[in-house]
Amino acid sequence: MPTDNNSVMVEMREVYKYFGQLKALDNVSLDVLDGEKLVLIGPSGSGKSTLLRSINQLEKIDHGHIIVDGIDISDPETDINKVREEIGMVFQSFNVFPHKTVLENINLAQVVVRKRSKKEAAEISRELLNKVGIIEKANEYPDKLSGGQQQRVAIARALAMKPKIMLFDEPTSALDPEMIGEVLDVMTKLAKEGITMIVVTHEMGFAREVADRVIFMDYGAIIEEGTPEHFFKNPIQERTKLFLNQIL
Amino acid sequence: MVEIKDKKEKKETPRPVIAVGDGAAIPSKEDVGLFTAWRFSFIGAIAIVAYLVIFSPDPYWRILKFLPDGILVTFQVTTASIVLDLIIGLFTGLGRISKNRILSGIASLYVEIIRGIPLLVQLFYIYFALGRIINVPAMASAIIAMAVCYGAYMGEIFRAGIESVSSGQMEAARSLGMTSSQAMRHVILPQAIKTILPPIGNEFVALLKDSSLVSILAVSDLLRRGREFAAESFNYFETYTMVALVYLIITLFLSKLISIMEDRVGANR
Ligand SMILES: Nc1ncnc2c1ncn2[C@@H]1O[C@H](COP(=O)(O)OP(=O)(O)OP(=O)(O)O)[C@@H](O)[C@H]1O
Ligand SMILES: [Mg+2]
Repeated sequence: MPTDNNSVMVEMREVYKYFGQLKALDNVSLDVLDGEKLVLIGPSGSGKSTLLRSINQLEKIDHGHIIVDGIDISDPETDINKVREEIGMVFQSFNVFPHKTVLENINLAQVVVRKRSKKEAAEISRELLNKVGIIEKANEYPDKLSGGQQQRVAIARALAMKPKIMLFDEPTSALDPEMIGEVLDVMTKLAKEGITMIVVTHEMGFAREVADRVIFMDYGAIIEEGTPEHFFKNPIQERTKLFLNQIL
Repeated sequence: MVEIKDKKEKKETPRPVIAVGDGAAIPSKEDVGLFTAWRFSFIGAIAIVAYLVIFSPDPYWRILKFLPDGILVTFQVTTASIVLDLIIGLFTGLGRISKNRILSGIASLYVEIIRGIPLLVQLFYIYFALGRIINVPAMASAIIAMAVCYGAYMGEIFRAGIESVSSGQMEAARSLGMTSSQAMRHVILPQAIKTILPPIGNEFVALLKDSSLVSILAVSDLLRRGREFAAESFNYFETYTMVALVYLIITLFLSKLISIMEDRVGANR
């Protein structure tokens, strides 16, 4: 649920992003409230990842403004690393660090970026590993872990920074079906804690349970938005209906 | 010259491997043919040296006694150049992948120029160019010259190694708020090193062999000691036989040592 003060956590204003000729984001304007859980859906290539990645500037936008927690990240003066500390990101392909143990994966940025002591970092890491349910794997290397476990490490790694916002880019798409549940469970639990979440996913069960708002994108533009109920019961746009028919 | 290909490994998932064209072949256990060829030549070379020294001590034993100073110098030149070479290589590699146009331009220019000039010509050039500007000992200029020449190739090895790490790793590190140099240091380079190590081993052996070129620069390395002996005793054939055998033994020994080290690194990540 959005917190009562309803301040805006992410504000996108007339955002455009081009890859050569291709318009990946087409005049996107969007407010995400503090504590809001937003789910992004849309066909392949519709710009969901690009939208998400522009929020922590893994993609640089060509026009418009993105303001994260009051800081305009499109301003060249902004120290993007400082902003990124506040934005956790979870990738489809996990991207855990294969040369580090599970615990080291979660410690690294805490020590290097947040400048916590090794001891303090390890305490936080263990706490988070408990939370995502893989404390027993703390000293394993990632290649000994299943996909679902690796993704939970990646979530814990992002949470260790104590971010204000969590971005999830299709976190369960690369997983075997039997592992999707364990990752969604962690995310659902997290959603109850008041953190702002923006999730690209086609798991509509998750959207129904967790999302305050769903946004449907196509060709780089926001086509339709509403509550999960709205999308299940009476989507308005033809393109939305077509898309939902395919995934439901 | 430097390329990345997938090396098939039985137990693990395929990991990209950089293959460098020149340099000594480093034997591994999977490569059975080469392994026995290695054993054959190593033991053979030692046997021939032993035979010559025992049955014909004059001049062979005298030659062998004359060479150790040169072997030491050869090792000094090789080791010092490889260290310098690794530093130059790291920065060249980073420069080549840099988004900064000027940095990547300088790095690419350096690589292109070095690759386009024969090693011997470069050695002469850097040696005498350095001599004009500052007064450095022959050995130091030789080391700098070798390192500069080899740095270009080393830079390509570093570049290929860094590029072999998936871009998702950099993105994950950056999304945690790391600067690009923090990400390089803690995430990318430690992973790249596994791919980089075998070709560095190759380069080390190749550099040791090419270090014989510094003998023309008034550096008393193994080859130069041989030349000095030959010039005095007129035993040209005998001397160069010994010199060749000593190089061969050293090179084969080093190749083996490196392949053992690589196994270690591969085994305990
Ligand atoms: N680095 C890139 N270079 C060129 N084109 C790109 C790049 N990244 C994305 N695109 C293009 O931009 C468009 C939007 O891509 P994006 O990845 O945001 O889509 P998506 O909605 O996340 O799709 P998917 O469901 O397949 O992940 C696509 O047409 C894609 O091909
Ligand atoms: Mg995507």
